[in-house]
Order: sequence, then C-alpha cells, then structure tokens
Amino acid sequence: MAKKLDIPNADDESLVRAAQRGAMPPYEELVHRHRDKIYARAFSMLRNEEEALDLSQEAWVKGWQRLKQFKHNASFTTWMTRICINLCLDFLRKRKRKQTDSLDQMEEESGGVERRMPVEEFNPTENVEREELRAQIDEGMAKLSYEHRTVLILHEFERLEYKEISKAMHCSIGTVMSRLFYARRKLATLLISLKKERQK
Amino acid sequence: MKHEDKLRIQAWMDGELAPKEAARIATLIEQNPEALALSEELRVVENALHLGEKPAILDDSRDFYWSQIERQIDAEEPLLEPYAAPGIASGNLLRWMVPVGSLGAIVFLMINFESMNPQPQPSAPGITPDSPASTPTGLTEPAGAMEEQSAEPGGMGVINFQGSQGSRHLTDPEDPNTLPESIENPDR
Repeated sequence: MAKKLDIPNADDESLVRAAQRGAMPPYEELVHRHRDKIYARAFSMLRNEEEALDLSQEAWVKGWQRLKQFKHNASFTTWMTRICINLCLDFLRKRKRKQTDSLDQMEEESGGVERRMPVEEFNPTENVEREELRAQIDEGMAKLSYEHRTVLILHEFERLEYKEISKAMHCSIGTVMSRLFYARRKLATLLISLKKERQK
Repeated sequence: MKHEDKLRIQAWMDGELAPKEAARIATLIEQNPEALALSEELRVVENALHLGEKPAILDDSRDFYWSQIERQIDAEEPLLEPYAAPGIASGNLLRWMVPVGSLGAIVFLMINFESMNPQPQPSAPGITPDSPASTPTGLTEPAGAMEEQSAEPGGMGVINFQGSQGSRHLTDPEDPNTLPESIENPDR
C-alpha cells in the first residue's frame, strides 16, 4: 500500500512527484512555500505590486498545467522562477510595444552614456547599513529600463550566462554585454550620487 | 581604453572569456590603472546587488492567494484534457473496433458451433458448412480459414479482445514518452 504523504513535512521533490500524479494539496503546499520568492522575482522585474501579484499567480497556474513536463533536472523553484521570468518578459515586451522608447534606451543607442560616466574610485556601499543599501539598490533598479534591469537580474540573481540571457531576451550576446555594462555602471553612478546626497 | 576592452573586463569578471583572452585582460588590469578602477567598480556593484536585493513579501493571506490560483486552474482545466483522454487516432480506432469486433465474434461463434457438433444441425439461413461465411461487412472468407485462426483447441475459445488492442497503447498521462516536449529549461 502506498505510504500517505505527510504534506507539511514532505520535501519539495516528494510534493512535486505527488502533484505530478494529479494531487492538488501537495501543489498548494508548494505554492505556500515558494510564493514569496516567485512574487519577489516578478516584482523585481516589473516594479509594480499589482502586476507582480497577477503574474506570479499566472506563473503558478502555468506551473500546474506544465508540471508533468518537469523532469527534476533543476530544483522546482528554479523551474518555477523560469516560468515566472518568461511571463514577465512577455508582459514587458507587449507593454513596451505600446510605449515610446525610454530615455535610457535612446542614450544607449546614441553612443552609450556609460562611455561618458567617469569611473568613481570610492565605494558607494561602504559604511552603509544593509537596510539603507537595500533601499538604494531598489531605487537604482527602479530607474533602469526594463531591458537593463532584466539583464542584471538574469545575470546576477538567476546566474544565467550571456548566451542564455541572449536567448531569453531575443537579442545578441553583444547586446547583452552592452546592456549589462550600462546597467552596472548606471547603478554605480546612482549609488554614488545617493551616497553623496546622504553625506550632505 | 577602448570600449571593447571595457566590455571584455566585464566579461572577464563574469567568467565568460576564453583562457587566452582572459589572460590578456588580467594583464591589462594589472598594468592599466583605469582598467583596475573599472574592475573594482564593477565588483562593488556586484557585491552591493547581492547584499541589497530587497525582499518582497506578499500581503495576501496564504488561503486567499491560493484560492485565486485554484480558481484559475479550475477555469482552465479543460486545457489539460488531451493528456487524460485517448488520442484522436485511438478514439477512432475504438469506435470502429467495437462493433466490427462484436460482429466478427458472432460469426466466429456460429461457425465454430457448427464444426463442434457432428450431428447434422439445421443451419442458419444462407450459411452452410461448406459455403463461404458471409460477414456483415460484405467480405467473404472460407469457414476453414477462420477456423485456423482460432488458437483454442476446441475452437470455442474466449475471444481475446485484449489481444487485439494490446498492440495499440492508449495515451498514458503518466508516461513521460507521451508528453509534449520538455520545458525543463523553458526555451524561448
């Protein structure tokens, strides 16, 4: 006789396998465990609470529908995060088509504002409390265009290689390098200016 | 310093360069103060990002959040039916196999019944032991040929429908080979 699954204490893999056989309660438990992480990734890309909430829920619906395709090669959360990122990218692409180009993008295309940014020689994060640093990073990320923010997130937090990012974002590796460089330098400049403001 | 070299410094820090190119950039960073400053700046940003990603926490209660997901899943559940239902080809096959198989079985039983009884029996109208058996499909076959197909010694065996369907597997929702392409690493 099959052993009954102790859902609250079961590991993710057991829950996923049970859910792959069609059981909903194990999937509900997975949602409870990882909903903040999926929501946080959606929010970091979209910078909008309501949209992040909707898309994170959509990601869980898609996850359920495609669960039988999950082969346990990566962790379940990595797989779910990829689904969420793909949904966010689709959403941002659709939204972008309706908008005019951002100032950041125009600057990037007109020769690269990062080329004119002087390299600063002091550490913007030195002597900054963690909470304050978080607030500064949050503010800096919000000021980046979605393309620059996304390459940074995919590379720094999701640990994707240039090749994988270019595939996800439908652009060349050169563009990925250029966007990543711009995003980092812009963030450095923003952090430095925030620190200077604080020191006044 | 050229812009291309700046991008290569970044790629070197990200571990994306081939060994030969990586060695060249490492030397550049050692020898060129501007390259060194840039590499330091990029490293500071990287560290700041890892220390400073703001955690986002959902305000909705667990049950409310799940109820919305569950409702959407229920609303879209018919999308999953192709996994559970037999494939179109299997469905068509079953639709025809059941009546044809049943009629074949009746004819088979009637012919075997005749051959098992040595006493003369009143034959069914239109069918004699020596005449070809008529099938409802309009095809005719010699009765002897049909008898040879029976594996049962008495000729009055159980007709094995499983045997006829056994070679045709239905779509099994649990069989990974019948599932669509993997999205293990969703490919965009």
